[in-house]
Amino acid sequence: MSSRRFLVLHLPMLATDRIHEREPDVRNLPVATWTTQNSRRVLVSVSAPGTTLRSGQPLADAQAMHPGLVLHPADPQADLAFLNRLALWALRFTPLVSSDPPDDLVLDVTGCTDLHGGEAGLLRKVSAALLQGGIAVIAVSAGVGDAAAVLARSGHHGRIVPPGAELAAIAGLPLGKLRLQPDCLAGLHRLGLLTIGDALRQPRAPLMRRFGRQLIDVLDAVTGERPRPLPTVRPPPVFLVARTFLEPIVTRPAIDQALDDLLEQLCPELAQAGQGARQMTLRAFRVDRDVQEVTIGTGLPTRLPAHLRRLFADKLGQLEPDLGFERITLQANVVNAWDATQEAMTSSDAGPGRHQQALVQLLDRLSQRLPVWRLAPGASHWPERSVTRTDPFTPVASFSTRSPLPMPVRLRRRPLRLMVTALVPDGPPVQICLDGKVHHIAWADGPERIEPEWWRDPADRRNRDYYRVELESGARLWVARAGARFSDQPPRWFLHGYLP
Amino acid sequence: MPVDSNAERPAGNLAELRLQIGRLQRSVRAPPPAVISLCDRIDRTLPSHGLARASVHEVLAADPGAAIGLCSLILGRAAGAVVWIGSDPDVWPQGLAAFGLLSDRLVLVDVRRSRDGLWAFEEALRSPGVAAAVLVVDRQLPDLIAGRRLQLAAEAGGGIGLLLLPDTELSPPSAARTRWRVGAALGQRCGDPCWSLSLLRCSGARPAKWTVTWNRVTGVLGVTPALPTEMLVTAMSGGGQH
Repeated sequence: MSSRRFLVLHLPMLATDRIHEREPDVRNLPVATWTTQNSRRVLVSVSAPGTTLRSGQPLADAQAMHPGLVLHPADPQADLAFLNRLALWALRFTPLVSSDPPDDLVLDVTGCTDLHGGEAGLLRKVSAALLQGGIAVIAVSAGVGDAAAVLARSGHHGRIVPPGAELAAIAGLPLGKLRLQPDCLAGLHRLGLLTIGDALRQPRAPLMRRFGRQLIDVLDAVTGERPRPLPTVRPPPVFLVARTFLEPIVTRPAIDQALDDLLEQLCPELAQAGQGARQMTLRAFRVDRDVQEVTIGTGLPTRLPAHLRRLFADKLGQLEPDLGFERITLQANVVNAWDATQEAMTSSDAGPGRHQQALVQLLDRLSQRLPVWRLAPGASHWPERSVTRTDPFTPVASFSTRSPLPMPVRLRRRPLRLMVTALVPDGPPVQICLDGKVHHIAWADGPERIEPEWWRDPADRRNRDYYRVELESGARLWVARAGARFSDQPPRWFLHGYLP
Repeated sequence: MPVDSNAERPAGNLAELRLQIGRLQRSVRAPPPAVISLCDRIDRTLPSHGLARASVHEVLAADPGAAIGLCSLILGRAAGAVVWIGSDPDVWPQGLAAFGLLSDRLVLVDVRRSRDGLWAFEEALRSPGVAAAVLVVDRQLPDLIAGRRLQLAAEAGGGIGLLLLPDTELSPPSAARTRWRVGAALGQRCGDPCWSLSLLRCSGARPAKWTVTWNRVTGVLGVTPALPTEMLVTAMSGGGQH
């Protein structure tokens, strides 16, 4: 048995709590959600204390019994989003939080309990915080996540199962509390197996043969033999610093100050580990359990507070501190090794290293807001494909400088259709019509034929004959004639580029 | 200006006064301006004997190919990282490489709004890691305040800034150090680019016009001798490239 500890929060009234939070004026009224099942409308989730309404009841009956019932259509997507929001909120207690839809949160609290006054203290703190926000919760702590979840679904609020006692705790619970398919559950009941202990006492092979792999998976997960892997709501950070405020902060200067403090704290930690951050996330926890995130990326690893502050400065405007933030965390999601020698070299006032560093910082700032790229040669003679875009931080190969013929300095994204007169169909152009004016051509140099690439072009792509032409005004253009291959169609002329 | 009236002063005093006035006009510290040389004849016309770094220059593009050619010639001689900012910039690196602007020095930035373009241009000019930056302006020309900001940013960063503007008759006042108009000129058949280059505005120099040819083999820009050169033009009437 592993020594991990899990705190499972079962939220039985998730759907109605969500409605109550969104619409505070129906807080004291009975609320229910409904859905359509086989052309019948039935209640799904009910929050109506003091009445006999229950889940699964036909909608018409419920309305006849309680005309004042506030009804909303069931919205599983919104419920899931609400659950994920609460999972983000729970990141303040432990970095490993998973949401287990439809209505469970699993917190891996191994090693985190001492910060909150032991396991019982943490359990009280979490449930009190949720109840204060009007969210019903059943919290159970155990060494196996699924065992704790089964206990929570059975209503054992506040139970703390000591390590190793999980099997005894769940043996007497009904099988219906496991998340099994209805026909599987009915089959087990037909065999007279009613509790989890009954099923665990059976030989595995016949159970497997009869009910399939899924039942064995569920049973193994609940005993802790093969725990069910749950993805955490956010990957655990490598470096994390946090700041909790006595009073919620609202203003931009206060947020900037908090960011400065966090950076002052995080950057020395990175320096000590010999790491530089490539991606950082600032997470702001609002008082109404809303969590907002701002993420920045850098091209090369860095841990210079001034640079990181400038990168965040543009994006902090996205935060919406409605009623104020009570807690702000800053974490480095992706880090790369970064030697201290580099820092010493670049922090001096002169030298090429400093210029390189300044350029990298500039590219970081620009790429937070705008697309930034470098041009690299592509393996093709087709003009549009002979240049590719790459990331600005990778070194690129150079194009050959000495081409025998002048090359265009600008290539139009969309070639411009031209009206061209030529003496013979295959000959060079004599005059072209551009911008509604006829230009005589002083000289033309060509053709330079480029054939389409048969391995990736469509079969009917035309080859191109490129001419370098100079107009009588002196303007020099790179024009192309497409389609000498199909003699039955007239060739089409395009302006593709501008020569210097 | 009082400088002109004191013509009988020794040349040393005159230079000192010029420096003082320059200091008053620009910024508190006035280092000797580093320059990028174009060609001997044009350099002699300019007060700083070359195209001054740490300042912004405007280029009016009467012909797209010639304007980008001149810009890439200047950028190629700037020796360092170059940031090219424009709305979906479609420069072609094989053509730029012929002017010495290799793609390993070139970074392109796509801006959709003119505000973003000015911001990116100012950031690039302010950075000491950038030797030159270009902003291609399509529609809205930067006003005088924006131009002044850009000039101050260039003085802080030390790089050269080029504003590539559309060629309009009505060009607004600006804080740029020089303003050029470049258009195409009919050259020889050999394929060397030939441009008509006008210096429209420059503090401390007279407007002038040249026809220049760039030698593709040697990489030297030369004033074409066959055509009438250095004819003085006024800023208003200069610019006929036809």
